[in-house]
Amino acid sequence: MLAEVDGLLRAEGPYAVGAPRVPVARFLALLCVGGLVYGAAMGSFSLRPLQVIYSATKVPLLLSLSAVVCLPSFFVVNTLLGLRDDFPSALRAVLAAQATVAASLLALMPLILFLYVSSDDYRFAVQANGLLFLLATLGGQRGLDRHYRPLVQKDPRHRIARRAWILLYVFVAIQLAWVLRPFVGSPGLDVNFFREGAWSNAYVVLFRDLLSF
Amino acid sequence: MRSLFNSLDDLLRGRLTTREELAAGRVQVPVGTLVFLGMLLGGAYGICMGLFSVFRGAEDVFWRVLATTLKVPLLFVLTLAVTYPSLYVVSAMFDSKLRHRETLRLLLCAMAVNLALLASFGPVTAFFTASTESYPFMMILNIIFFAVGGFAGLAFLDRALKSVFDDPDNRRFQAVDPRRAPAGDYEDEEYEDEVDSPFQHRDIPGRARAQKPPPSRRVFRFWILIYGVVGAQMGWVLRPFVGAPALPFEWFRNERDSNFFSALGKTLETLFGG
Repeated sequence: MLAEVDGLLRAEGPYAVGAPRVPVARFLALLCVGGLVYGAAMGSFSLRPLQVIYSATKVPLLLSLSAVVCLPSFFVVNTLLGLRDDFPSALRAVLAAQATVAASLLALMPLILFLYVSSDDYRFAVQANGLLFLLATLGGQRGLDRHYRPLVQKDPRHRIARRAWILLYVFVAIQLAWVLRPFVGSPGLDVNFFREGAWSNAYVVLFRDLLSF
Repeated sequence: MRSLFNSLDDLLRGRLTTREELAAGRVQVPVGTLVFLGMLLGGAYGICMGLFSVFRGAEDVFWRVLATTLKVPLLFVLTLAVTYPSLYVVSAMFDSKLRHRETLRLLLCAMAVNLALLASFGPVTAFFTASTESYPFMMILNIIFFAVGGFAGLAFLDRALKSVFDDPDNRRFQAVDPRRAPAGDYEDEEYEDEVDSPFQHRDIPGRARAQKPPPSRRVFRFWILIYGVVGAQMGWVLRPFVGAPALPFEWFRNERDSNFFSALGKTLETLFGG
């Protein structure tokens, strides 16, 4: 396991930049393991087993589904930019980014447990998780950059494709995270997979909140 | 089916509209294939768009989804049908190397590119449709996706037009024998005389040449203007696309006294105004 994570982070072995095959299954496995472990830790805030199980499923779901929803557009954008021959490499780059997010979360797992042990404040727990997700996402960006650097050198249009991916991915991931909440699970509420009214729109809620200030 | 997707793939990769082919005035894709592809791709996005009424529990769900599925491709095909004569006349005025059939094919290619990108946004739209109750949000999101798809189609067209018009072998330039013209500026002179409008700066031909955009760019601007305005209004005539769940189902809305541009302003107002 550690060897796999190491290979991913250093882009070596099957994960190497420009390797002949895109190791989709390995990326998915890393994403699931990392997401599952961190999710379980994330859901353990109120020490309710059901919430642990829910959160452990939700984090890998979040990471994989948001990528799946964006991939068709990414494919067409790459083709239109004339970058189709490099698509396997581009696909490797975005999958590596997702797997790197999961691996970073895995590494941050002890940290969140330590924070949970040291504080009972729900708001603090949510904010800390938000911050750690942000850090992990920045880690994912590094993975993306590592794979994209040679591509951009080869053809600067890859920069446009990368930007399009980030824009669409962030837009979708924020909404998906909103739908899948709660991740931490407020101790005062019952444990449910979806929160009541989960199927609402994060951006609309945000605008309304901003307006009410 | 497979061959259909192969031609779509070739189209998106730009293999059907290579510089050499366009410069020679050829676009070799059957019109039928392009129209069928357009209907298919537009229909696919239409289904994703029409899901809004399914998730929001509106009445007459089947008819609503069917209407949206038909309307998205219709929007593009009808807009092209209405604007094609003007688009062709403009390009012919600028001595396009494409004859009317090739011009139609090129425009259909751009439409298919536009719809392919739009269709690829389908999963995103479907996902947001499932998790959004706000009708204005969905409308804005759809407008953004239509706009992005439109830009892709335009970029495709822009590149193609450059190959059609700005080729050094353009017959305008060939018509001039360099031995009879003063060396160096024959291109400018001939070009200004025959192609340009009366508003030219005869005193400094070099500068005038630099200020005038090339014919490809000018045709492109005309095309955007005609197609964009008609397209926006066509979308308005064909509405509703998403379909407010609270309103009863109708194939077309009946008010005829408004237009796209004033309505966009109102939608933005509702979204941000709570």
